[in-house]
Amino acid sequence: MANRSGAAQRPNGQTQGKICQFKLVLLGESAVGKSSLVLRFVKGQFHEYQESTIGAAFLTQTICLDDTTVKFEIWDTAGQERYHSLAPMYYRGAQAAIVVYDITNQDTFGRAKTWVKELQRQASPNIVIALAGNKQDLANKRMVEYEEAQTYADENGLLFMETSAKTAMNVNDIFLAIAKKLPKNEQNAGQTGNNAQGRRLTEGDTGPKTAGNCCK
Amino acid sequence: MLASHQDVFNIVQAKFLAAEVVKSIHLNVSVVDGPSINSDRILALVEYNKSCALFVLISSRSQPISFSDLSIETVIPIDPNFSCETEPGAGQHYVILIIKYKQSRFQYNIEIGKDSCNFAAELIKSKEGSSNTNPNNNTWLEKYFGTMNNSNRNSDPVDQGELVVIRDGMVQGQTAINRESMLKYQLKLKEPEFTQKQEFSIFVGTWNVNGQPPTVSLRSWLSWDENPPDVYAVGLQEIDLSKEAFFFNDTPREAEWQKFVMDGLHPNAKYRLVALARLVGIQLAVMVNNQHYRYVKNVSFDTRGTGLLGMGNKGGVAVRLELHNTSLCFVNCHLAAHVEEFERRNQDYKDIDTRINFRKSPHEIKDHDQIYWLGDLNYRITDLNTSQVKTLLQRSEMNTLLKVDQLNQQKERGRVLVNYIEGDITFPPTYKFDLNSDTYDTSEKARPPAWTDRILWRGRGIHQVSYRSHMDIKMSDHKPVSSLFMSEISVVDPSKYRKVHEDLLKKMDKHENEFLPQVTVDQAEVTFELVKFREPQFKEIIIANTGVVPAEFEFIKKLDESSYCKDWLTIMPFCGSINPGEKCDVKLEVNLETDLETLYDILVLHLKGGKDMFITVNGHCQKSCITQTLSSLVRIQVPIMHLSKEELASALNNQGPIYYSVPRELWLLVDHLYRHGLRTRDLFESCALHEELIRIRDWLDFGSKDQIPGTPQAVAETFLLFLSYTKEPIIPFDLQDSCVAAANNFENCRQLILQKLNDIHRTAFLYICMFLQELLKYSNDNGYDAKTVASLFGDILLRDPIRNSKPQASRGKTNFVYNFLMNDLSSSLIPK
Ligand SMILES: Nc1nc2c(ncn2[C@@H]2O[C@H](COP(=O)(O)OP(=O)(O)O)[C@@H](O)[C@H]2O)c(=O)[nH]1
Ligand SMILES: [Mg+2]
Repeated sequence: MANRSGAAQRPNGQTQGKICQFKLVLLGESAVGKSSLVLRFVKGQFHEYQESTIGAAFLTQTICLDDTTVKFEIWDTAGQERYHSLAPMYYRGAQAAIVVYDITNQDTFGRAKTWVKELQRQASPNIVIALAGNKQDLANKRMVEYEEAQTYADENGLLFMETSAKTAMNVNDIFLAIAKKLPKNEQNAGQTGNNAQGRRLTEGDTGPKTAGNCCK
Repeated sequence: MLASHQDVFNIVQAKFLAAEVVKSIHLNVSVVDGPSINSDRILALVEYNKSCALFVLISSRSQPISFSDLSIETVIPIDPNFSCETEPGAGQHYVILIIKYKQSRFQYNIEIGKDSCNFAAELIKSKEGSSNTNPNNNTWLEKYFGTMNNSNRNSDPVDQGELVVIRDGMVQGQTAINRESMLKYQLKLKEPEFTQKQEFSIFVGTWNVNGQPPTVSLRSWLSWDENPPDVYAVGLQEIDLSKEAFFFNDTPREAEWQKFVMDGLHPNAKYRLVALARLVGIQLAVMVNNQHYRYVKNVSFDTRGTGLLGMGNKGGVAVRLELHNTSLCFVNCHLAAHVEEFERRNQDYKDIDTRINFRKSPHEIKDHDQIYWLGDLNYRITDLNTSQVKTLLQRSEMNTLLKVDQLNQQKERGRVLVNYIEGDITFPPTYKFDLNSDTYDTSEKARPPAWTDRILWRGRGIHQVSYRSHMDIKMSDHKPVSSLFMSEISVVDPSKYRKVHEDLLKKMDKHENEFLPQVTVDQAEVTFELVKFREPQFKEIIIANTGVVPAEFEFIKKLDESSYCKDWLTIMPFCGSINPGEKCDVKLEVNLETDLETLYDILVLHLKGGKDMFITVNGHCQKSCITQTLSSLVRIQVPIMHLSKEELASALNNQGPIYYSVPRELWLLVDHLYRHGLRTRDLFESCALHEELIRIRDWLDFGSKDQIPGTPQAVAETFLLFLSYTKEPIIPFDLQDSCVAAANNFENCRQLILQKLNDIHRTAFLYICMFLQELLKYSNDNGYDAKTVASLFGDILLRDPIRNSKPQASRGKTNFVYNFLMNDLSSSLIPK
């Protein structure tokens, strides 16, 4: 009687998607548009005058994929050099990072590369890094060529998109791309300890099944 | 002792009339914006004659013990005027249930528990069911309106004005687990929005096989209908009457019969077994058409014996499953035999109904959307003997017979299968036949024929298509019975579901972000003016809670740092909690005790469950001769503040000529004490005024033509300060252990000093000791003896690396210094 207690692990998919939670950090020179990207992604807004971040802002946002739901805990850090030494507090234990530069400012691209290097050295080895060339709406003042950034991203295994917090271009897409790339199960979810390491949060169908007290 | 959910349920039911059935309750509910945050409300869904209402009860005890502990706060009829929705709640485990009734609005904080989904499901069912009821059906509620004890006492809650509700802010960051259950709960409430009803054909069959092994095809029973059913539930009784089956609950017949059952299923479709459950001879198999198999989930079964010792020659087995989004429960039972035992049968039924407990939620039979109850219920025909029954049957007076059918009678009296429905019986009694015949029992016992084999149902959307017996299967003393149902199953529309799911998540995200703690700090940068040695300065920052929830703040350590701020800074308080709209003043105090050019630190102000803010602290420091090294000071000829930047830099780097054998400042202090302090009683003991010390410090640092200001005691204290704060102690840290080890032998001590201490430190050390020897000559005046002085200076000249760690007057250090107070030092000055 192989199948007496029926189908246990049917993927029903409809009502019982799992929720994975990930820590995501934004890094990059100040004024490149990190906070603006988050604001666009989380609230769908854009402020011409965005208050500069002194600290690390925190917001959450959920994305639905086909079979899973990904919840991001987003840490938007301060970009000024003086706060550089505090950045590890935020990228340590992060499963994802978006390194942002401003396509109209070559220096910010150089700074972005430094961030990528630092992440590759210091952050969790499985971290998914995305490079965002922001302010794409100002392409007429472009100082960083798309191809240059794309090549750099390819060489370093980064996701790459040019974005605009102002027009919303590619904003959801870059978060979505990260969500898709993140490992969704315990084995792949990295090893950096206890904070929200891609935790699987569904109770549901996983309990051990014991035989009924009738048919033996 | 905590009352169980069931206990409270019974107490709530006791509050109502018997015909007013409590369908579901929810504990731990509080009123949003209510005066107290006690979760002392209970929601109860009550049905009377197909009309439902939601009652809000207040319990006078945290756990009601009797129905008199409960009072009715609000009654809300569930009719077409009723609507409800939810929002994520503020707290860890809360969801807010918003109920609208005409213009009235009620909001309750519901603590999500394991019964929440059941409650939600019942509420939705009631709401759905209400759409075709007449609002005037609510007359049964009138008596309760009068008993409502809330301030809005009103004969009809329906006319109450809109309640203005402010969400109360008892909030914490939400855990993700909690989020999940909240999501489930809300999805359940929104189920009608993303599901649609589809009709599924369900074939339910029951047959008592009288212990016979299977021999004939079951097609004519199981494949009676033209179209293949979507779902089969086939119940058998007495598949094995052997003692082995009874005692060991094991029988080869299970597999044999199941094979015949599978073979008998409709040939025009393929079926897959979902579950097979058996208790002794009672067996229940549920199969679904292959194409539906992937929509079956949460399958579980349980059995309950009711016969002798509950071992299961009588009893019931049940299988539950979810088909798409509808929960189905099939119960196959074999109840107590014998005409007169109908009470036993009632009791057996109750046992099965209440004690079957599935491992998956909902756990109880009664909580399923659709329940199909089948089996050999064994109810007989009362008051008529065999020949009377047979005569009536011959005359086709079935209705007369059905009136004296025990099941019909007991059901009518509310003794069994309450709220279950049975279709009209148009087939003859299915018991008891001579084997392999259509003839009713011709044996000596000549039992009167009876409808022992029955199929009933309960739940929404079930339509019976047919109910019949199958006379051509003759191998048992019972005939098989079957019923075909067309039942409404709620099927998820994936695109609608996706939308509802995403909307809910968005709403929850928005809510969660809104409920994050938020504060502002009035300054991101705190700058101290000129900070001077041991002259504390204060600044205040104001943290204001601008959010909607209490903010717990704490200054946290940066990575790889041992404290949340540098040692020259004190933060008071460094953690705390601020209520929305309120502020907290945080005092920053700097106290400089080391030699620094500038002060610089970034404080990380962390909000629990929220963001971090950085506060930069900086300031400039004024140089002082105190906190310098001896070797720098002996290179400085003038007060330290008179030096140009370059001169200072070179002196501090120990560059340039050495002008003095002991630092100028040390000499000034000692010389002053030598001339004015030797006879001062308790020279080192009194506490000088802070300003006095500052004046002396400035006199040393800035220079002056005047005498040293202050009393000898103040100068003495400055002398001690000077020695205590030199960048390196007079006896350097790395030498102190050797000194202590050598302490009981002066010659050893002397050698140490000569060989290990550099010239500048040795000179300073001996200079101080010689002064102290001088001091001790005036013991009679100043009251000091060598031991006391040695103890005092031992802790200073050989001070600990960690300041403020209450110096444990170390005997070794005291002894070491004591040697130099008691011996002639002239020889020590010259190396051998
Ligand atoms: N034109 C344009 N301006 C942007 C864009 N993103 C951000 N900004 C502006 O750039 C400035 C700095 O943005 P902010 O988000 O504070 O940068 P952050 O310091 O990296 O967080 C603000 O004035 C924004 O309005 C963008 O995509 N296009
Ligand atoms: Mg920012």
